[in-house]
Amino acid sequence: MNYEPVVSEMNDDLRVVIVGSGRVGLQTARLLDERGHDVVIVERNPDRVERALDSYVATVIEGDATRPSVLEQVGLDRTDVFAAMTDTMGTNLSASMIVERLAPAVHTVVRVPHDDVGEYEPYADEFVCPERAGAAAATNAILGQGVRTVEGLPGELQLFEIEVTPQAPVAGKPLSAVSLPHGSVVLSGAAGHRVADSETELEAGHAYLVAVEPAVADEVTQLFRG
Amino acid sequence: MSQTPGGSSQREPQASLGLLDATMVGIGAMIGAGIFVLTGLAADIAGPAAILVFALNGGVTAFTALSYAELASAIPKNGGGYAFVREAFPAPIAFVMGWTRWFTYMAAGALYALGFASNFVEFVHLYVPALPAGPVVAGGPSWTIVYALGMVALLVALNAVSTDAASGAETLVTLVKIAILLVFVGFGLFAARIAGFQPFFPEATTGGIGLAGPVVDAVGGTGGALAVLPAMGLTFIAFQGYDLIATVTEEVENPRRNIPRAIILSLVATVVIYLLVIFVAIGTLGADRLAVAGETAIAEAAEGFMPAIPLLGTGAALVGFGAVFSTVSALNAVIIGSSRIAFAMGRERQLPARLGRIHHRFGTPFTAVLASAAVMFVAVVVVPIQVVGNLASLFSLLGFVVVNLSVIKLRRDRPAMTRPFEIPYYPVPPILGIALNLLLGLFIGGRTWLLACGWLVLGVGVYLLVSRIGADDRSDPEDEYA
Repeated sequence: MNYEPVVSEMNDDLRVVIVGSGRVGLQTARLLDERGHDVVIVERNPDRVERALDSYVATVIEGDATRPSVLEQVGLDRTDVFAAMTDTMGTNLSASMIVERLAPAVHTVVRVPHDDVGEYEPYADEFVCPERAGAAAATNAILGQGVRTVEGLPGELQLFEIEVTPQAPVAGKPLSAVSLPHGSVVLSGAAGHRVADSETELEAGHAYLVAVEPAVADEVTQLFRG
Repeated sequence: MSQTPGGSSQREPQASLGLLDATMVGIGAMIGAGIFVLTGLAADIAGPAAILVFALNGGVTAFTALSYAELASAIPKNGGGYAFVREAFPAPIAFVMGWTRWFTYMAAGALYALGFASNFVEFVHLYVPALPAGPVVAGGPSWTIVYALGMVALLVALNAVSTDAASGAETLVTLVKIAILLVFVGFGLFAARIAGFQPFFPEATTGGIGLAGPVVDAVGGTGGALAVLPAMGLTFIAFQGYDLIATVTEEVENPRRNIPRAIILSLVATVVIYLLVIFVAIGTLGADRLAVAGETAIAEAAEGFMPAIPLLGTGAALVGFGAVFSTVSALNAVIIGSSRIAFAMGRERQLPARLGRIHHRFGTPFTAVLASAAVMFVAVVVVPIQVVGNLASLFSLLGFVVVNLSVIKLRRDRPAMTRPFEIPYYPVPPILGIALNLLLGLFIGGRTWLLACGWLVLGVGVYLLVSRIGADDRSDPEDEYA
């Protein structure tokens, strides 16, 4: 992940400001709190403020995050990451742009409604699409354990965890004997302890981590699942 | 991939404390050693007015308790007072707060360790008169210090290798402590005489035992009604502990409502119990003999009027047991409390980062516990008990001033911050809290202020050193963090 300013200080507890405490915002706040980070929530809806307070995972600022007078109350000077997580793109973008202006050092993350970030790229450090992540999780559940999307990568690339079935074309063969389509690579061996090499054998019943470009996802799945 | 590395999530405390349990955390930390250890010392200075001393201290503390309640309801962090001040003020002020809170807990720990040792000798002598007491070698350190150090070492070892010692049966332990005190009060109310309270204030004397503050020295004596003030300064530490509730917030059910309530309830309950106990102690034994008994005053009083209880032994034995039991549990509480502050400051890089790490095998803030223990050891060996009590009280008072200031500053800077509990009649309580805490601080002896300044100067050195090293440290990836 291209997340350098933050990752290099992973030992520190981060101070994270989250705008919006709807389902996505509040759940994010919970996960961050569980991992020991300090969270501040900005929320303007009084009902959702109550709900955020009940969860007791964050200090809650009640107000509109697109107003500088509200953002000045979150303690931006000590903030490491600012995440705009409302379901309204306009709110997220204007809040993060105010933060870019008030505190340029803060890492900004913006929730977007679809994958196509394109034109917004210059206006935040990181974009996240919860709908897409949710759809990936749903797909995993629907298809069962055979092929799982492990992690949403920043670009198009997908990381699959695929279990080789006995009837699969590649079952029982070393990687050197298998020709995978361009745009795909097997990353880890059967036990998941070491990076795969040409000697790695694709055993039936074992799972492998495979990086796949969308164009060949179908083909790779067929090779591993039969 | 939701697993956290190292299985740290397994140790995540569960929300399991109800309002009663949370209140017990506060009561348990307050009714530890304070009442057993300090009653005699307060009677020494203020005579029968010792009861007024504890009543007024309860009142003064109540203002700060309201501030803690408001901040804890709005800022869900485990660091207690340090975390709140970190939110309101720039880094250097937060450092001073953490640095003095840390010392408060350690000084309180030294006080409780010494109180434990005296009561332990007293209690064991009822059964085993052969237990060595007095100086170890002629002119050398006394056995009391040996026992005190032994107990500190034992509890530190427990807390360094296991987090279970931290949680466990806190509510039960506290109920036992309260029950013993209530048995004492139950018998004592029949035996207490109002005559024991006359004259209420001690006769005016010229001071000079190093306990009176600069103000009293200027006036020229510690006697009369004025004697209440230095005694308040000395015993303020007995109301230290409700703030521990703010350090276990993650374990409390429905925290936004229960934490403010638990803070206030525990203070009220503690004040009531203290007043009853002191009323009985003065009414039966008299202030003069309490003063002579010093750290074992309550056990001494119990001997006078309590009948032998089947299975439990004499009244003195029961209360002696209560004193030993309470000082140990309070000592345990402050060891945990002090190490949590050092840990929080380590996490914030205000103390060396090593203090903010969890041990890879034991899962405890190992270095923070050991560092706290080291300072406690020195305090036990080097500093006399009254000075230790004074130091703890002074830092406690100053820390509370800063907490009250934080409330005011956050109300101004962050009006939009939601406060599930709001201080009634704001801004009167925090302002009164600041004024009264400062007033009491002025009545603490000059020597204590000197020691306090010494600790602060040391702190400035540490702060400058850590912020210099910390800057280099950040670029340095630390991989063995667990």
